[in-house]
Amino acid sequence: MKRKSLCMILAGMMALSLTACGGNGGGDSAEASADGSTTMSIALRGGVYADVIKECLPAFEEEHNVTIDVQELSEEDLHTSVALNATSAEGAYDLVMVDGSWMAEYTEAGVLANLSDLGYELDDDIIEATTSICYVDDSVYLAPYYGNVTVLMMNKANVEEAGYTVDSVDSLEAVLDICEQAKANGKNGFLYRGDNQNNLVVDFLPILLSYGGWVVDEENQPTVNSDEFIDAMNYYVELIGTGEAQVKDDLVASIDNGAATMGVAWPGWYTPTADSAADYIAMSGKATSDAEAFASNVYGIWCLGVPENSQNKELATELLSYLMDKDVQYSTVESGGVPCRYSSLQDEEVLAKYPQYEVVCKALETGVYRPVIAEWTEFYTTLGSEMDNIINGAKTVEEGLNDAQTELEELMAR
Amino acid sequence: MAKRNNLSESAVQAKRFSTAMITPTFIVLAIMTVYPLLFTFVYSFTDYNLLGTMSGSVNATGIKNYTDILTDGYFQQSVWNTVKFTILTVVFEMLVGFIMALFVNSLNKGQKIMRTLLLLPYLLPTVTVALIWRMMLSPNYGIVNQFLESLHIPVYNWFSDIETAFGMLVLIDVWQCAPFVFLLLYAALQSVPQSQYEAARMDGAGPLKILFYITIPNIKKSLALCALLRTIDSFRLFDKVNLLTGGGPANSTSTITQYLYNYGIKTFDFGFGSAGAVVMLIIVLILSSFYIKRAIK
Repeated sequence: MKRKSLCMILAGMMALSLTACGGNGGGDSAEASADGSTTMSIALRGGVYADVIKECLPAFEEEHNVTIDVQELSEEDLHTSVALNATSAEGAYDLVMVDGSWMAEYTEAGVLANLSDLGYELDDDIIEATTSICYVDDSVYLAPYYGNVTVLMMNKANVEEAGYTVDSVDSLEAVLDICEQAKANGKNGFLYRGDNQNNLVVDFLPILLSYGGWVVDEENQPTVNSDEFIDAMNYYVELIGTGEAQVKDDLVASIDNGAATMGVAWPGWYTPTADSAADYIAMSGKATSDAEAFASNVYGIWCLGVPENSQNKELATELLSYLMDKDVQYSTVESGGVPCRYSSLQDEEVLAKYPQYEVVCKALETGVYRPVIAEWTEFYTTLGSEMDNIINGAKTVEEGLNDAQTELEELMAR
Repeated sequence: MAKRNNLSESAVQAKRFSTAMITPTFIVLAIMTVYPLLFTFVYSFTDYNLLGTMSGSVNATGIKNYTDILTDGYFQQSVWNTVKFTILTVVFEMLVGFIMALFVNSLNKGQKIMRTLLLLPYLLPTVTVALIWRMMLSPNYGIVNQFLESLHIPVYNWFSDIETAFGMLVLIDVWQCAPFVFLLLYAALQSVPQSQYEAARMDGAGPLKILFYITIPNIKKSLALCALLRTIDSFRLFDKVNLLTGGGPANSTSTITQYLYNYGIKTFDFGFGSAGAVVMLIIVLILSSFYIKRAIK
């Protein structure tokens, strides 16, 4: 009898656990709860990017009688989660944050909904250059929300010690000169992020652009062993020789406390004030002071989109419109928000308090998106691995870039 | 006759009971292990891409994924890194864990406190361990570099220097997992009959002879089990590498799992990733076969 009871209990527990495993996950998607309110789920990039959105949500929740569940994810987890969510017939997410470089693979696979069909259009207040990847055949699929763009972060005292001011750093030649002097003074010169291939590539792209190079040509074929690329890489190896690789938090802290002098950064990482030890500028795009100036600030803009399989597209579009509203976006500036909007970035009150937004606005007006190709993840992984070999002396610049070119040509030919 | 019938009836009942007890485990294993394993194997012969499948179809590619992966220099380096990491960590963990177990077992007082303290690193989540060590070894504010600087000893950028990154990963893994070996071996040491030690001492055996002729022979099954479990676990190393070095610098810390993550999972190229997983499974089986054979015997 005891044995039979034990068997029954075990069988029951197994059935229950299997039932739980087999749930359709409907609880995550938009659904009506017992009190009549709707529940929505949104997936955001963690950090200040999600913080500024979270502070805007209560007003929307109250007005629409909706509860919004926010998932804050790392960049890689967000990339994977949005893609995995797309494979379900009924999506768990109603609104997602998307990096501009994912646009091609997501739209090719039909991950994102056509926002134009849902009645949303981008307005003229948004900086036009930031919208270049948001359209497919004149239809809007993404809205540029957080204006992340590469800037050159520097320690003011170290720069002045080298005989420059923050505003007078007008070329890569000057950057190298300052960093070499800092190294001679026993400090770190230029810091870069070497902790993964994406960071390695992204930190290098502004340098490459300043040399007039790019990773692909007009037909999206790799050009990573071009003369411009080789020149930029040689310069970069010399530049980072004045410093070392550090992770993001260390990089910001080192430049802020003067242990290091410069590094490529994003506005979301650091808020300079008149009294702060560090500041940032938009890259000039010039290799030398008398060279041609190229657009060299690389976008890392976090956009908002609605998944095609969202169970509540209309409400999600309303939420997206609300978050993109110029007054709502203006209200986020105080908390570290960087809207891609003239009304926020050129506002006199904002500039009086946060003068660095003038720099950000300038950088956003002339910024460049990473290539909009479906293979970008594999592309930067391959290129970053070869750059890592070059930086660590495992290969020469020419060897590494030629190997990268061969591998990338094979990738793009698939 | 009636007695014999009763006996056979109880034997049948016992058989039914044992079958009923095994069935849930069998079903769960079939669902959670066999099914995914079969799927992985099938996918490894296709060009299955998570997002690509949504806009196209899955095509059979034969052994292309296997030839691609086996001829890739990065994969070969990842295999070598993984094997090297596994051998080093298993050797050091076994050694440190065994010394810890002998030490605690020899204590007359405070065994419980010592046991708990020594186990703490193993109880921490790997992410926490990685972050603790990242902070301690930070080139900017890390306590290790500050301490070395105060002694005028050269400091390193531990996770970004090609000379030190791999060694740091080995050190962290040994720090975290040696307590696991300690726990198993400590339990085994407790079961060694004291009479054997007493007899050896009476015969005039010294500590080393006692160690090699009494202690080790008595716990050799536990030693083999520890080595097997640590080999399998070390071979799957991923989170520490991904959090601390991302496989760099210059691929010097890239393991098979990190390679599969970079080139299979992150790119949603699950067909290629599956082929890598099958290759990894075969290597683990080969490495573990020695222990498994002993276990079956």
